[in-house]
Amino acid sequence: MDFSLTDDQELLRDTARNILARECPASLVRAHIDDPTVAEPLWSRLREYCGLGSGPAVDLCLFVEATGYVAAPGPFFATVALFAPILEAAESDLLEKVLAGEVSGTVAMAGLDGLWAANREPRKTFVPEADRVDRVVVVNSGPTVTVAERLPARLVRTVDHSRRLFDVETAAAVADAQAIAPDALDRAVQRATIALSAELVGTCRRLFDMSLSYAKERVQFDRPIGSFQAIQHKLADMALDLERAWAAVYYAAMALDAGDDERARATHVAKATAGEAARRIGKDAAQIHGGIGYTWEHDLHLFLRRAFASEAWLGNTDWHHDRLADLIV
Amino acid sequence: MHLAWGPEEEAFRAELVAFIAEYAPPEALVQRDFAGMGEPGEGTEIVPEWARRWQAILFDHGWMIPAYPPELGGRNATPIQTLVFLEELASRGILRSLHFPGYAIVAPSLLEFGNEEQKKLAPAAIRGDTIWCIGMSEPNAGSDLAGLQTRADLRDDHFVVNGQKVWTSYATIAQKCFCYVRTDPDAPKHRGISVLLIDVDTPGIDVRPLRHINGMAGFAEVFFTDVVVPRENLVGALNDGWRITQGSLAHERGGLWVEGVARLEHGVEGLITLARHFGRDGDPVVRREIAQMYSRAASLRALGYKGFTSFAQGSSAPEHSYMKLATSETGKRLYELGMEMQGAYGPVVDDERGYEDGRWIRSFFTSFANTIAGGSSEIQRNIIAQRVLGLPRS
Repeated sequence: MDFSLTDDQELLRDTARNILARECPASLVRAHIDDPTVAEPLWSRLREYCGLGSGPAVDLCLFVEATGYVAAPGPFFATVALFAPILEAAESDLLEKVLAGEVSGTVAMAGLDGLWAANREPRKTFVPEADRVDRVVVVNSGPTVTVAERLPARLVRTVDHSRRLFDVETAAAVADAQAIAPDALDRAVQRATIALSAELVGTCRRLFDMSLSYAKERVQFDRPIGSFQAIQHKLADMALDLERAWAAVYYAAMALDAGDDERARATHVAKATAGEAARRIGKDAAQIHGGIGYTWEHDLHLFLRRAFASEAWLGNTDWHHDRLADLIV
Repeated sequence: MHLAWGPEEEAFRAELVAFIAEYAPPEALVQRDFAGMGEPGEGTEIVPEWARRWQAILFDHGWMIPAYPPELGGRNATPIQTLVFLEELASRGILRSLHFPGYAIVAPSLLEFGNEEQKKLAPAAIRGDTIWCIGMSEPNAGSDLAGLQTRADLRDDHFVVNGQKVWTSYATIAQKCFCYVRTDPDAPKHRGISVLLIDVDTPGIDVRPLRHINGMAGFAEVFFTDVVVPRENLVGALNDGWRITQGSLAHERGGLWVEGVARLEHGVEGLITLARHFGRDGDPVVRREIAQMYSRAASLRALGYKGFTSFAQGSSAPEHSYMKLATSETGKRLYELGMEMQGAYGPVVDDERGYEDGRWIRSFFTSFANTIAGGSSEIQRNIIAQRVLGLPRS
């Protein structure tokens, strides 16, 4: 069990951090609330990393941890973490162009219950970025997949403006349905779930870093509030939750990459642990920031919104614990 | 990043497994989902004969502290091999020894800080031939250990010791005490402490047993009244004892979490068995809570490996404090859950009417020790906040 990164992995992680720090400041996430087109230059920059849609899940996680840290908007996550793995599972010829960054895409799978399990419902929901990708892959029970160009989509408003989710009418896209191996579909959904968990850990790290800096700077009663034990113990517990979630996510990524039997359980553990971390870190980050964190002008809410929305998406903490219980109890 | 160890580690594992199969006595498989530190129940010996023999066998075959050379009960194992060793023991619930102070704290401290004569005491401490206790905590020096007040006054060639130690594990059966004493009452509190090696049968020492909250025997109070200790029993320099408190099995520091995590995993298995026994395994609340405990244990195992990776690369990772805090707190919740699941039978320890001899409530009580001993959860949070996160001292 070796958690060390190779030189290439360290380079990938550092590159991702540098690009995203430069190309995705909080001001971009804020501007994106009213005008989603402002995320287009970022997508142009991230296209060259679409190769992460295939290959080691560990590498994908290292990259999307950095997109989560900045709450990056745009079709990158949907393309590399959802669309590409489903195409790969379906052995689609389109995959090559997606990995080359030439075609963006998303996945329409969840029915109105919001769960990512193949179903027959014509209306799918929680489909990310459906109005600005080149293709939508529709997953129906069977399971089958169909790749479509544009489908009618309606924005489902959530608190998170940085990731836009849609209802998609898929009735027009059942004609050329192609069968897909259930195991392969499971693996693709596991890969997406682990990647989202990594992204969420990145968002949690941002909330944590902001809280730690604030606790060191903010002076009350003539000293930094971070010198008070009540604040110190909150930050210690947040740090523990963050580190534990990070480890659970990369353990799951390694299990998936190794094709290990434990990968289903490890995926549930990863998303649930990241989700628990998001809830605690989100609430405590707001508490440590006090009144200023409650304002619209402060950037904290941009990341709180992303964190709580990511916790709920692709199965929330309780759902993953319940599925885990089905495997172990 | 990868899941599997290499062939060398697996060969090492195979040799160890064969050794365990041949030599481990059945009693060495302690009740493994107990929260306890391996103490036996009331009325039994603290360190029974089989445990003494087992520890000696481990030493003689180089399996007591694998990272040490053969003359110290080891086989010069690498850090990863040491981790494999700890994993294999923990997964079987096997303890190397039923008295940890000698091999885990006293011997490494003597080897690092002792003079040539004192170093000669290490092999017997590791083999378990000498039983040690550690005189550390006092009525007024718990978490604030440096506030200890037991006095040792230097008079020519000897010290005269007066004072009291408390929560001293194994003092009732120990031959020797590794004792922290104040040798300069006027110096700042961290700078006036020294360590003395004291024979427990020295006149003026009075050992009184203390029973644990869970009813088991274990630690003791130790009173010192004009106890004469030869000057050559001083470890390291006079008034330089504080840094010796940092001494421990450095080679195994990266794997201290293994036993705690294995205990949580065994506890989760126990919860599942318990839920079935009481017909609660279909209850969605119970199912979710069991899964939460599984998640905690699994994520902590992953964090432990992450910390070990840094340790093996030579960096002093902060994971030790995270692991100590999280395994002890999670354990407390886990045993509480087992107790809750039994409903009205939760507190029953009756042999005939209770479930498994009341092991869940007894483990719950025992688990209180784990969030206090060895640096309480609050102290761990202070350490994380100040040393890892760089927050200012309060």
